[in-house]
Amino acid sequence: MAEFVQLLFNGLVAGSIFGMAALGISLVYSVLHLVNFAAGDFLTLGAFTTFYLVTSRHLPFVLAVILSMAIGVIVSLILEFILWRRLRRSGAGMLALFLVATGIAFILRQSISLTFGSDSRRFDLDQLTTYEFLGAQIARAQLIVLLCASIAITGIALFIKKSNIGKDMRAYADNASLAAVSGINVDRVIIATWTVSGAYGALAGVFQGTVQGQFTNGMGLDLLLSILAAVVLGTIGDAYGALIGGFVLGVVMELSTWDALAGGIPSTYKPVVAFTVLVIVLLFKPEGIFGVKARKI
Amino acid sequence: MTAILQPGFWVFILTMSGIYGIFTLGLQVQYGVGGILNFGHVGMMALSSYTMAILVIAHGFNFWIAAASGVAVAALGGAFLGLTTLRLRGDYFSIVSIAFSEIVRYVIFNSDGLTGGAQGSLAIMPIGDAYPSYTDTWDTILYWIRDHLTPIFGEIADRDMAMGILVWITLGILLFIVSRVERTSWARVLRATREDDDVPSALGKNVFRFRLQAVIIGSIIGGIAGIYWALQVTLLSPDDFLTIVTFYAWMILILSGATKVKGLAIAAIFFGFLYGGTRFFTFWPFSFFDSSQRSYMRIMIIGIVLIVLMIRRPQGIFGKREEMVLE
Repeated sequence: MAEFVQLLFNGLVAGSIFGMAALGISLVYSVLHLVNFAAGDFLTLGAFTTFYLVTSRHLPFVLAVILSMAIGVIVSLILEFILWRRLRRSGAGMLALFLVATGIAFILRQSISLTFGSDSRRFDLDQLTTYEFLGAQIARAQLIVLLCASIAITGIALFIKKSNIGKDMRAYADNASLAAVSGINVDRVIIATWTVSGAYGALAGVFQGTVQGQFTNGMGLDLLLSILAAVVLGTIGDAYGALIGGFVLGVVMELSTWDALAGGIPSTYKPVVAFTVLVIVLLFKPEGIFGVKARKI
Repeated sequence: MTAILQPGFWVFILTMSGIYGIFTLGLQVQYGVGGILNFGHVGMMALSSYTMAILVIAHGFNFWIAAASGVAVAALGGAFLGLTTLRLRGDYFSIVSIAFSEIVRYVIFNSDGLTGGAQGSLAIMPIGDAYPSYTDTWDTILYWIRDHLTPIFGEIADRDMAMGILVWITLGILLFIVSRVERTSWARVLRATREDDDVPSALGKNVFRFRLQAVIIGSIIGGIAGIYWALQVTLLSPDDFLTIVTFYAWMILILSGATKVKGLAIAAIFFGFLYGGTRFFTFWPFSFFDSSQRSYMRIMIIGIVLIVLMIRRPQGIFGKREEMVLE
């Protein structure tokens, strides 16, 4: 029982991080029809800029996190202005968008490696304090991550649901040309999308760095597959689906290592579990859990 | 700088280019003809090379049978990938295909008993007492070729040169076969499915089956590349099969103009030089960086080339623009 509670808690923490990162990818896809393969490296960027601001610039941790989120947004917007906008105007196809995203991922990851090297880093946070709950050891740092991530997720869900820009985003994702002719400011929608994706990517990176204890320049890349699995599981382009997909995968991946389940799966196979779940779901429901079958025109 | 003047350097670049060329040809069949966005191609290379190595080292198989089995396993891998996910939308398929190759790599990395795990093929338990190697049969051939090259090239002729020649002969034969296949009615149907599913289905063609065949054929070619890769590196490591390798092939494919076979060899050499050659950029301004930093920059340069290519010339050097902007 204690182990179950422990794994469930770990799964919720992992799931909240997956959900935040998956949300960015899903929003960008819904608005721009672009699978952002560089998203994982935005997580790494967030973690490393926070680390740099705290250790070298001696900023308070929370301020460093906020600045890192701003940097994530700025990098995303610069890429929008110099690359994505131009590609959209030239009518680039899916392959072109995929490959440019991959190119960005290469450049971003190698820039981080060039600047910070390949050593592993850790945030100077209290990692040791734990609370006991139903026999499980709940680390305080992880509990804080789970709480903050839940607040961030609720905030963004409300933002998309209630705010004017959120409504515009949903309208534009649903039918771009109809939204454009009804006077929705397309550029504003796109900028808002990249802002959410950049800020939440950086924040998810900081959370993941905190939860892992230490992190390297490959952190985001290692997570990318599980995040993409969450995106597809929750139907690509569906923001709420991505959040739920993230939680489902986080919990399933952690519980798969549970001893009571036929000894459990070695934890190194967790990403394999994520994709096995995904493939099984897709076999029975090719449009994802929340997807609606595409209308044939 | 002096490394660039050595003939051995050029032989190395050309051999690697040839292997990447074969590897890319598999994608060419899938994307160039069938419009299938496979980002997990490197998984097929991993399957074939590891199958071959395990059969030879741990089970004492004859090299040729082991190599054929390796390619067969790659074909099965392609069939599995296609059967489970090819019915999905294009973008879903590409995500799941990346996952496929990563899962192959994860399993190789973590199955110490079978594959040698993180230590690579060196740690596969051999059947006899001998030092585990799967290249013996192949080396006999290479040394035989070298002995016949020595009268022509003198000192320069070596094992590597023989390897390069065999790789390029294979690439030439495969290029010829694929360019022939691309003129068959099979390829015409496949090309039609790239634009639209409905017309070919209305004509009674089973679109799914054609796509599946394309994936399997591409996987077989990828498997052949895997065998050559194993022979070239002589010791396999799970890190040889990172997802980035698939993107190297995509870069070659785009450079060559995805729908044209003829540019592929040239694009592969260009990539080979970009990839292998930058290792030797020890002159200014690269002399500011140490070798690990230069290896980071190598991948950065590849990223920049990909982006510039997609913006400036998405049709590649030899391709037609209208065939690239279809989707």
